Amino acid sequence: MMEIWGHINTFFSAENYTLFVVSIASGILCFAAGVVGTFTYLRKRALIGDVISHSVLPGVAIAFMLTGVKNPVYFLIGAITSGLLSIWIVDYVQAKSKLKPDTILALTLSVFFGVGIVFLTDIQHSENAAQSGLDSFLFGKAASMGMLDIQLFSVIAIINVVCIAIFLRGFSLISFDENYAKGIGIKVSFLKSFLAVLTVITVAIGVQAVGVVLMAALLITPAAGARFLTNDIKKMLLYAGSFGFASGVIGVFISYSGTGMPTGPWIVVVLSLFALVAIIFGKEKGMYSRMKMRVSNNVKINNENVLKDIYKLAQDGENTITINDLIEKEKYPPSKLKSILKRLERDRHIDQVRGFVILSDNGRIAARAVIRKHRLWEIYLSKYFQLEEDHVHDDAEGIEHVITPEIEKHLIKLLDRPETDPHQSEIPY
Amino acid sequence: MSNTIIEAHNLTVLYGRKPALWNIDFELPDKQVIGIMGPNGSGKSTLLKAIMGVVEPTSGFTKVYDDELNNVRDKVSYVPQRQDIDWDFPANVWDIVAMGRYQKRGLFKKLTTEDNEIVTDSLEKVNMLGYAKRQISQLSGGQQQRVFLARAIAQQGDLFLMDEPFAGVDIATEEMIISLLKTMKDAGKTLVIVHHDLHTAESYFDHLVLLNTRLIASGPTSEVFTDKILTDTYGGRLTTISKISQELENKEFPIRHK
Repeated sequence: MMEIWGHINTFFSAENYTLFVVSIASGILCFAAGVVGTFTYLRKRALIGDVISHSVLPGVAIAFMLTGVKNPVYFLIGAITSGLLSIWIVDYVQAKSKLKPDTILALTLSVFFGVGIVFLTDIQHSENAAQSGLDSFLFGKAASMGMLDIQLFSVIAIINVVCIAIFLRGFSLISFDENYAKGIGIKVSFLKSFLAVLTVITVAIGVQAVGVVLMAALLITPAAGARFLTNDIKKMLLYAGSFGFASGVIGVFISYSGTGMPTGPWIVVVLSLFALVAIIFGKEKGMYSRMKMRVSNNVKINNENVLKDIYKLAQDGENTITINDLIEKEKYPPSKLKSILKRLERDRHIDQVRGFVILSDNGRIAARAVIRKHRLWEIYLSKYFQLEEDHVHDDAEGIEHVITPEIEKHLIKLLDRPETDPHQSEIPY
Repeated sequence: MSNTIIEAHNLTVLYGRKPALWNIDFELPDKQVIGIMGPNGSGKSTLLKAIMGVVEPTSGFTKVYDDELNNVRDKVSYVPQRQDIDWDFPANVWDIVAMGRYQKRGLFKKLTTEDNEIVTDSLEKVNMLGYAKRQISQLSGGQQQRVFLARAIAQQGDLFLMDEPFAGVDIATEEMIISLLKTMKDAGKTLVIVHHDLHTAESYFDHLVLLNTRLIASGPTSEVFTDKILTDTYGGRLTTISKISQELENKEFPIRHK
């Protein structure tokens, strides 16, 4: 514990000012990637992110070969140029050939990446002493970024985010319904190119932090996680950006806390954890809430089934219903039945007195509602699907728990408020 | 007497080498309900997209209100095909209908109180006001179609181009759309509708355009909706035209010498 605290103290101390700045810069970078990547995700271009990030490599190598110095400005220009070229090639080949999109993406990615590796190898074998560290583009080098890199990247990332805030309406339009956007006279091709440029710029600077291999994760993972948390595009952008920022900062911190730990991979690991948590615990769409929903459905089904049986026993003239009567009638094991009865008592549908079960007025109303839905469904099936009357019961046993008051109203209207079901049993209204 | 509202001249649209529309010529009258019909892949949607400027014609042109579309775009409302869209997009019903106001407000101006009233009003017209805050991924097919109609109404055009508004919707929605079309026609709007159900064509439309890559017929429903023309549209010619199209595509023949 003390050790970690020590790390945190050192981390934020004045001597570590640079590392503080690196973590913030990497946070800003990942924020920008998360925000831009939200549109990559919504436009289903996840693989394009991969293509761009691998395609910046030859640009970086050529920039170094031409200038002979490691200057982030030159690298950025080279990266952006070859990134844009790769997008243009993908679009052009798609329009002119009969190749499938996934083939085009895979080919473009490998060709650019291959060429990049060839150039890098060539540079490494050259005499130029300045070349050392150039291979960090493969896996990133956030922790060893220079002050110039940090300032440059932060400024560009911020400009990037501001542009997206300004063009939010247009970018949403083309992501949802490109044809309609064209139809109302929006400059769709301008918006698409603009978004592509912002994406390439983001990738070009992001690559310097996490490397070409992991960059696509930085674009797509935050959005994939954020989608599970909200149905509002502004919030989604904010969540995706925040996941990015937090992962950027935490990733740098973790990689600093041990010796020789890589930054980029840690950022991606932290990011994936965020996304995983969102996918599991996101409200509505998350796995946890869906599981909870299924559990509560089961509770409802059990409650309603037992309640229905108590009602039927009472109808049959059983004035005193004991738990043993129910155990005989039910397929539930006694312990489970007892817990169901406890819930029914809590809902004030029944009272339990010394081993006897007494149906309350509320319980009677609830039980009749279940039976009503059951019989309405039976009538519906026999009327609209010509099912024999001995074929409708099993289906209705399941559907009686599903019918909402809204659907029930609809059924009553559709069937013209019937009095009896196909088995001539009365429908309790 | 009605005036011409849309005209097409020598309109040809190629996808690659394959013609989707081939030398189409017609004039459509205003203030009517007009159906565009033809078999699958006969270029119905492409025709609508060409009129809306969504696809570029390879040759020929279309005019709306005897003018270029760009000059009269604010009079034209568009309902694209519902099935072309991924409805799992983070937006609610209100957000989508509000898009109908973006034509007027552009990409940057905030929507005004007036815009909000128009959006509310449009939602009311399609009986979807109660669903304003509903996520679009939770809507049924019929409800999705109503949302798209509301969005087009919010554009406040005089000419409505609708791509298959009746495809995959429930009866209640179909009836609602029909009564809406009547109201709109009575208010002097022109409605151009891509449709595929022959049974309802006669009762829905005043004027019909029958397509099978080439134009088969265009005229008042009473004159055009004949056995001969329907056979020409849906029957024999289909195979001939599609065989030629296939040749053009596979062997990369040009559609005409330039």
